[in-house]
Amino acid sequence: MLTIRENLLETMKGGNPDRFVKQYEFIDLIMEVPLGVEFNYGQTWKDHWGITWQWPEGQLGMFPVHHDGLAVIQDITEWKKTVTKPVIETSDEAWAPALAHANAVDRKEKFATVFYAPGIFEMTHHLMGMENALMALYEEPEAMQELIDYLTEYELEFAAVMVDKLHPEAILHHDDWGSQISSFVSPDMFEEFFLPAYKKIYKFYKDNGVELIIHHSDSYAANLVPYMIEAGIDIWQGVMNTNNIPELVEKYGEKITFMGGLHSGTVDYPSWEKDVVKKQVEETCKANGHKYFIPCQTSGLPIENFEGVIDYIDECIDEMSKELF
Amino acid sequence: MSKIEDVKVLVETGKSKKVAAAVQEALDAGDKAQDILDAMIASMGVVGDKFSAGEIFVPEMLIAAKAMSKGVEVLKPVMAGDGSSSLGTCIMGTVAGDLHDIGKNLVVMMLESAGFDMVDLGVDVSADKFVDAVKENNNVVLVACSGLLTTTMPALKEAVQTIKAAYPGMKVIVGGAPVTQEYANEIGADGYAPDAGSSASKAKEIICA
Ligand code: B12
Repeated sequence: MLTIRENLLETMKGGNPDRFVKQYEFIDLIMEVPLGVEFNYGQTWKDHWGITWQWPEGQLGMFPVHHDGLAVIQDITEWKKTVTKPVIETSDEAWAPALAHANAVDRKEKFATVFYAPGIFEMTHHLMGMENALMALYEEPEAMQELIDYLTEYELEFAAVMVDKLHPEAILHHDDWGSQISSFVSPDMFEEFFLPAYKKIYKFYKDNGVELIIHHSDSYAANLVPYMIEAGIDIWQGVMNTNNIPELVEKYGEKITFMGGLHSGTVDYPSWEKDVVKKQVEETCKANGHKYFIPCQTSGLPIENFEGVIDYIDECIDEMSKELF
Repeated sequence: MSKIEDVKVLVETGKSKKVAAAVQEALDAGDKAQDILDAMIASMGVVGDKFSAGEIFVPEMLIAAKAMSKGVEVLKPVMAGDGSSSLGTCIMGTVAGDLHDIGKNLVVMMLESAGFDMVDLGVDVSADKFVDAVKENNNVVLVACSGLLTTTMPALKEAVQTIKAAYPGMKVIVGGAPVTQEYANEIGADGYAPDAGSSASKAKEIICA
């Protein structure tokens, strides 16, 4: 039997895996990275960029707030007045928990994987609201370009510290690029504004020993796959069924692996049912095969909202491996 | 090319800085305000269709809607008091527990461009708030509810049923990524549209039914 790591690599090169890769099994995720991202249930707070967040009680997650003058950028042409890069933690104390975790990873089986969020596109809308961010790409392209360069610079500075401290083998990097049925921006616009930023960022990681670039976007983004490849993404995590996954595998599999096929909303819900989950796992495994494809719920972390789903999905994938290998 | 044609092209391509002047020129050239408005509504229809077809994306739609609103500003004083062009008031919001608003905002823009007077209640709107808004506003003909989380689909159901209980004849349209036509039928909504582009024609169809 192949190790988890070998099995993944076989899957990614379209070789001979001996079973399906089970969701996130190949990564050991180092969430202790001092990103400065906070999760404060039931509270309202400002983060290190000055973005106001709210996580109302009883709700599933947190939200950036932009009304009542709270957006960090009120006027994109004047972003320099209100946007300042946060200070990056460099002390050994701040990185100690992450380092301890990195050192404890069983690298024979798993990839020591750092977590990074939010991505460049998400940062633009967290700073000024989605509508303003999207319209600014048309109305003030130069200012947007400058802002994106500045955000990219910050990411690269953070990456340099992170690589130096932890020597990660993989990165799970979030940036949601679309809704369920379309990308947020056109491929042309993506190529102009976001591709150059990601080429720089992912090249830096690759040049510094990071073997696997896993990019999360749980959305439609089939129209962006050529740019994902150009940016150096090895695995697109979050691919939804609204993309034609078999076609993507066929067309691009040799260059990028697709991880998803199980929409978290339809498997991970209050009082989820085994039959429903099992059927979806069967469908996705059968439809997409075991080359260049990893069955996984689309959410960007190996965490469930409702107890037991992740283990049950794994169980169903095991059954599919028995049946199909 | 006629002045009205200029306006149409400017709206479709989202040239918000140039539309106002073009509308003024059309008025000066003797075009009727109502005709100019109808032309802009038609342009937004084209924009909506292109969005539904995946030919354009959210930014293109946003700037087109913004361009139209700049044009409407010029027409407003000319058309003041002339309520004939309105399709009636539509109350819209994202349902309780749900804070996503990008999709809802696009639908608000499309319905507004189609001729509805929109009252946007924002996000996390309880069923009772929808009912209050129907009570407090004039000439409400439609309530539109958006829900993006599978976990808030019950809130969508509650909203529809509470509105229907309070105002049995009120038309309700629902949408949002996890919503389907079947689900809309199941919870007793009058209509559903999969995207902002098709929401306007669906909304008009419902209120005429
Ligand atoms: C952007 C986004 C966010 C942004 C939202 C910013 C904002 N201002 O809205 C941020 C980052 C803040 C966010 C937060 C959260 N999100 Co969110 N988010 C998304 C994302 C990536 C895109 C949604 C979107 O804006 N689409 C773009 C618009 C244009 O499309 P749309 O909303 O579908 O709307 C169109 C149609 O549906 C239709 N429509 C919409 N409403 C209506 C209404 C009517 C009447 C009609 C006719 C039509 C209609 O027209 C619109 C235009 O065409 C989706 C993933 C996805 N792939 O969809 C997740 C997603 C919806 N979020 C999700 C979650 C879980 C959350 C959080 C809980 C945080 C978290 N743990 O990730 C919080 C939510 C807190 C809360 N209580 O609401 C999940 C929901 C899963 C589920 N169980 O259903 C998704 C699916 C991601 C995932 N797979 O995990 N999110």
